Amino acid sequence: MSDKPARAIKLNVINEPKDSYTGGKSSLCPGCGHDQISSVIVNSAWENGIKPHRIAKMSGIGCSSKTPAYYLGQSHGFNTVHGRMPSVTTGANVVNKDLTYLGVSGDGDSASIGIGQLIHAIRRNVNMVYIVENNGVYGLTKGQYSATADVGSKKKKGLVNETQPIDLCAMAINLGCSFVARSFSGSKKQLTAIIKAAMSHKGFALIDVISPCVTFNNNDESLRSYGYVKDNQADLHSVGYIPHFSPLEQVEVPAGSYRDITLHDGSTMRLETISEEHDVSDAVAALSALHKADAERMHVMGLLYFDGEKPSLDDDLELHDTPIVEMGEDVLRPSAAQLDDVIASLRG
Amino acid sequence: MERVVNDFTINIATANGTGSQSANLILLQTLFDMGIPVSGKNLFPSNISGLPTWYIVRLSDLGYQAPGDRTHIQVLVNPATWDEDLAALEPGSVVIWNMDSKMEMNREDVISYPVPMTKIARGLNPKLARMIANVVYVGVIAELLGMDQEVLEASISKQFGGKAKAIELNSEAARLGRSYCAEELTKSDPYAVEARDVKEGGFFVEGNEAVALGSIFGGLQMLAWYPITPSSSVAEGIIGWLPKLRTHEDKATYAVLQAEDELASAGMIIGAGWAGARGMTATSGPGISLMQEFIGLAYFAEVPCVFWDVNRVGPSTGLPTRTQQGDLAMLYEGSHGDTQHIVFIPGTVEECFEFGWKVFDATERYQTPVFGFSDLDLGMNRWACHGFEYPDKPMDRGKVILTKEQMDSIENYGRYRDVDGDGIPYRTLPGSGLDPILYRGTGHDEDGAYSEKPDVYHKLMGRLKRKIDGARDELPAPVMREEEEMDIGIVFYGSMENTIEEIDDILETATGKKVSTCRVRALPLHSEVQAFIERHNTIIILEINRDGQLNGIMRKEYPNHLLNKMHSVAYSDGMPPRARLYAERIMEVLEEVGQ
Repeated sequence: MSDKPARAIKLNVINEPKDSYTGGKSSLCPGCGHDQISSVIVNSAWENGIKPHRIAKMSGIGCSSKTPAYYLGQSHGFNTVHGRMPSVTTGANVVNKDLTYLGVSGDGDSASIGIGQLIHAIRRNVNMVYIVENNGVYGLTKGQYSATADVGSKKKKGLVNETQPIDLCAMAINLGCSFVARSFSGSKKQLTAIIKAAMSHKGFALIDVISPCVTFNNNDESLRSYGYVKDNQADLHSVGYIPHFSPLEQVEVPAGSYRDITLHDGSTMRLETISEEHDVSDAVAALSALHKADAERMHVMGLLYFDGEKPSLDDDLELHDTPIVEMGEDVLRPSAAQLDDVIASLRG
Repeated sequence: MERVVNDFTINIATANGTGSQSANLILLQTLFDMGIPVSGKNLFPSNISGLPTWYIVRLSDLGYQAPGDRTHIQVLVNPATWDEDLAALEPGSVVIWNMDSKMEMNREDVISYPVPMTKIARGLNPKLARMIANVVYVGVIAELLGMDQEVLEASISKQFGGKAKAIELNSEAARLGRSYCAEELTKSDPYAVEARDVKEGGFFVEGNEAVALGSIFGGLQMLAWYPITPSSSVAEGIIGWLPKLRTHEDKATYAVLQAEDELASAGMIIGAGWAGARGMTATSGPGISLMQEFIGLAYFAEVPCVFWDVNRVGPSTGLPTRTQQGDLAMLYEGSHGDTQHIVFIPGTVEECFEFGWKVFDATERYQTPVFGFSDLDLGMNRWACHGFEYPDKPMDRGKVILTKEQMDSIENYGRYRDVDGDGIPYRTLPGSGLDPILYRGTGHDEDGAYSEKPDVYHKLMGRLKRKIDGARDELPAPVMREEEEMDIGIVFYGSMENTIEEIDDILETATGKKVSTCRVRALPLHSEVQAFIERHNTIIILEINRDGQLNGIMRKEYPNHLLNKMHSVAYSDGMPPRARLYAERIMEVLEEVGQ
């Protein structure tokens, strides 16, 4: 018996230790941006006090899509097929609308093979968080450019990329996505606030996270290397998150100007102005910020666009309050008398 | 002239999108309601409006449902196929033709009935003349054959369900057709109808609608689909019936998603199955081709989901509005790697309903994708039906662990561990808090963790095979009609059911031999199918495709001593199977093998 008192384990608002949110050991390259994002996911879910078993972690195929094994070990998950995670999530979501769906994808998964499914999930406003771990290259197949590689960027081996990239944030804004943000795996504070806010949002939340590939695309000539992104990020604002269970009035009011956004679950996203005001409800302003940064070969960061009013897919379907998956045979199978009625009507 | 009663075929040639379908269904319904065994085949083009359409009505006191060998009465409305249709007729055939079509009647060896269809229709309603001209020919046929006017008018009002104006207009058009025939034409053909005893409670229904209803009574929770002929009416049937049958406290107890493509439909139903719900999609061959990768995922990760394939003619876009049994092999072994899938194969509309609900029990029992296999002929034509039987057992949700007590009672639980020795593991559902795993399409061990170990992979594949093998005798058993001789046996499946009796009669008349038949109703094959083959000397495997796909499956699975007596007869031209054509091919094979 030791006299030394056990160090109190820190618990979250639902009395869970952080260990309840961690996962297995990563098999990605040491220093991979994706591992930083995984640790932010663990922190965000823990600090938001979401019951771990009420989260569903979804992914496609690629380095990014392997990461659900490395976080939230107490959550069910589905590592699906390449580029098709949105459809699987959509199907699960409509039959069990009460889970928190957390999708993780990569730039190959989302901007190439799966761009159609991503577009349609946005169009339907599926209630989910969709994180793109975006490094501009295919890692598992050893470093080919992806469709998000910037013009003029050069990966470690090979030629400079001359093909126009697909900007997933611009695409999402044009599609009317209800929550669009860009961040950087190295900006832990900003990314944490954005992921927490996305979890509190009802609707499709796209978070495009620049996440450098240390093996194939982290040289100085790459526009997606740690060094380049750190030196060339243009923050729209500083992002804070105040959970619904913390009284807003007890949070210190910032010295400068700020804007509070109330999220679906009652939490608040606090955007503190850095220089000029960015209106997150103005899609044109968001697109203009993206184009301006692009022209200056900068990466714009923060919450680009937000619409808290747009109905999500499960709203559109006018579903019963009880998730479909919890309904029993008494509700799901019509009666013998109903079959008689059907047959009578077929007889005409 | 000897009268020919209730045993002839009427072929009606019109253009797509002119409203002829309503007229043809009125004709079919009237004959049906007179108690005459009748079948209707709609041969339509892949087109919205303008291309040729034929509707074949066969009357048969013997109950034959296949299209007959020849046309006895031809209705000519469509100038586009006029010459071709006319040229194809045997001498002595009857031709009812539209005098206003500016086409010529250039055959003198047929019985010709010219009718000013358009003029009569125009006199009634100039705006709708094109549509109601079709009902004029129905009136002419009714008068010529001696159909009951009251029954005809009842069919018209059934067809236009409650729309008083349409009912009045069409009834009048039929009456005008009738009186033109009575006053201006002299009957010189032998064909006539006679009412028979009406079987109480019968009605017409399409196979696709029966599947739709069966699915709903199977507790369907999610439908994801992408429109494709000839399966769209499965989804549309479900969408039509769901609000009436599955609204609870004014809210939906189901979700319907029209997906962006078939890949997404497959993903959506797999998502629903993973979450613990009964998801299904309806598609045709091209859709199944697109879904292949997802089918493998559902097989390997063991996720319940239901796919209905209403077969059309392949390969590729093929003949989108014609029928075939060309997808069977693809369904049975869908996706890359070693796979094997459960396939339910209805042959009647009653079975479309029954298998509609049973597939859900099977997919959840075996935790594997399950296919319903229908075709355009069964799915999109109207078939006489005598009712649907209410499910005779409660929904089987399979091995799902719902409580901690259940979990604790299993020693050494693992998502993919074969606890009961039947190859079927237990599963937990997302959100339950019970033993979560990350489902994956990659190699995995009994706990669901990633593994590339040789023995782990080999053992897993062996268990999956054992699991599906174990389903054989739990699936619908074959329907057998055996003769005492046990000499020749025909193995067949699906919509061929509606032609087999006539094939059987032709064979017996031509060869004097009595033939047994065995209709396969599911894959993997029931042990009774093998027993049937064992009992007979010569086996014909009869299919509506080029390559003999069931024959291939049987040859792969059956022991050597059976292979020599199994012979494939496979033929496909896009048409619903005509009995004589298949019977002749069977006879050729029997002759070759010395039978």
